[in-house]
Amino acid sequence: MNEAELESRVLAILLEVAPDVDPGSLARDVDFRDQFDFDSMDTLNFAIGLHRAFGIEVPETDYRYLAGLGKAVTYVVQALASESPPPTSSRRAV
Amino acid sequence: MGPTASPRRRHARKSRPPRARARQLGIDLAGITGTGAGGAITLEDVAGETQPAAVRTPPPRAQPDMRAVIARAMSRSKREIPHYYLSLTCEFQKARTWLERHNESVAIEERLLPSVLLLKAVALGARAMPAFNGYCEAGEFRAAEHVHVGMAIAMRGGRLVAPAILDADAKSVQVVMRELRDLVSRVRSGHMRGSELASPTITVTALAEEGLDLVMPVIYPPQVAIVGFGSILERPWNVDGQVRVAPLVTISLAADHRVTDGHAGARFLAFIRDRLQAPDQL
Repeated sequence: MNEAELESRVLAILLEVAPDVDPGSLARDVDFRDQFDFDSMDTLNFAIGLHRAFGIEVPETDYRYLAGLGKAVTYVVQALASESPPPTSSRRAV
Repeated sequence: MGPTASPRRRHARKSRPPRARARQLGIDLAGITGTGAGGAITLEDVAGETQPAAVRTPPPRAQPDMRAVIARAMSRSKREIPHYYLSLTCEFQKARTWLERHNESVAIEERLLPSVLLLKAVALGARAMPAFNGYCEAGEFRAAEHVHVGMAIAMRGGRLVAPAILDADAKSVQVVMRELRDLVSRVRSGHMRGSELASPTITVTALAEEGLDLVMPVIYPPQVAIVGFGSILERPWNVDGQVRVAPLVTISLAADHRVTDGHAGARFLAFIRDRLQAPDQL
C-alpha cells in the first residue's frame, strides 16, 4: 500500500467516525478539532477505527499524533514500519 | 432571522437530493414538513418518513427546526423556573489515575472517557436525592421512578441535543460508555430516535474541550436540575498541606428553587464530588 492509498483509507475511517464532516472542505494540515469541533469521543472512535483497519496499537498518550489528517497518516506509516506485521485476526473489516 | 415558513404553506422548499431520495423511496413530499432553513425538506426529513411505515401520512407531528425547539424550551425555562446556581471545585486526580490504568489494561474498544465517570456520579446522586430527579409541571414536583440522564451533545453546525442514557444509575461505567458512544455516533449521523430525546429526568452538560472553568447551565423543562462540568484543568491545589498542581474540575448545579433549596443543592454537589473520589466504585 503506498502512502496515497493509506491516506484515502485514513480519510474513509475519519468519515465513518464523523459522517457529518464535508470531505470537500477538509484541510489536510489543520487539526480536526479546529476544523470540525472534534471532541474526545471523536478522537477515541478515530483511534479505534485506525486500530481495526491497520492492526496498530494506539495508546491514549498517542492521541495527540492523530489530531489532523496529515499527522494521522504519518503516525500510521511510522506505526506500521515499527511493528511486526499484525496478526490477521486484528485486520477485521471496519 | 428571515420570514419563517407559514404553516399553511403548500409547497415546502426542497433541495434536489431530498427530492431524488424521496422519489427513490416512493414518498410524497407534500406529506412531509421540512425542518431545514425556511422550511426546506432535508434528507433527514425524508429518512424520518421511511421509519414507521404505519404513520407515514399525515406526519404525526411536524418536526420543527431544532433551533426553534431549543429557543422555546430555554425561553420557557428562564420564564417559569426560578433557577439557583451552586458550584464546587474538586480534584480529579484519583479519577484520572484510575482511568489511565483502566484504559491501559483493556482493549481499545473498552476505553472509557472522563465524561462517563461524571455522568455516572450524577446518576448516583439523582438516585440518592430524588428531589433533583423528575419533573415540575404546573408548579407541582413529581419525582421520577427511574434515573434517565440526558447528556448534552453538541452537533457540528451549532445544534444541540441531550439524549438520555436510560437507568444510568443501575448500569456499569462500561455499559454507560458503550451507550454513550452509540448515542454520539447516531447524533453525528442523524439517526436519533424521538423517545431518546424526550425521556431525561436530569441532564448533564460537560464542556470539557475548551478549557472552561465553570458552566452555568439552563434547566431543560420540565426537569428540575442540570449539572454542568467545566474542563478538567491543571491548577494549584492544596494536597495534604502542600500546594501542588493537580487536575481539577468544577461541578455546577442549576436547580429549580420551587423544588429544592441551596442547602440540598450543596449536599447534592458534595455527593457527586465524593463519588468522583472513589472511581473504582462508580
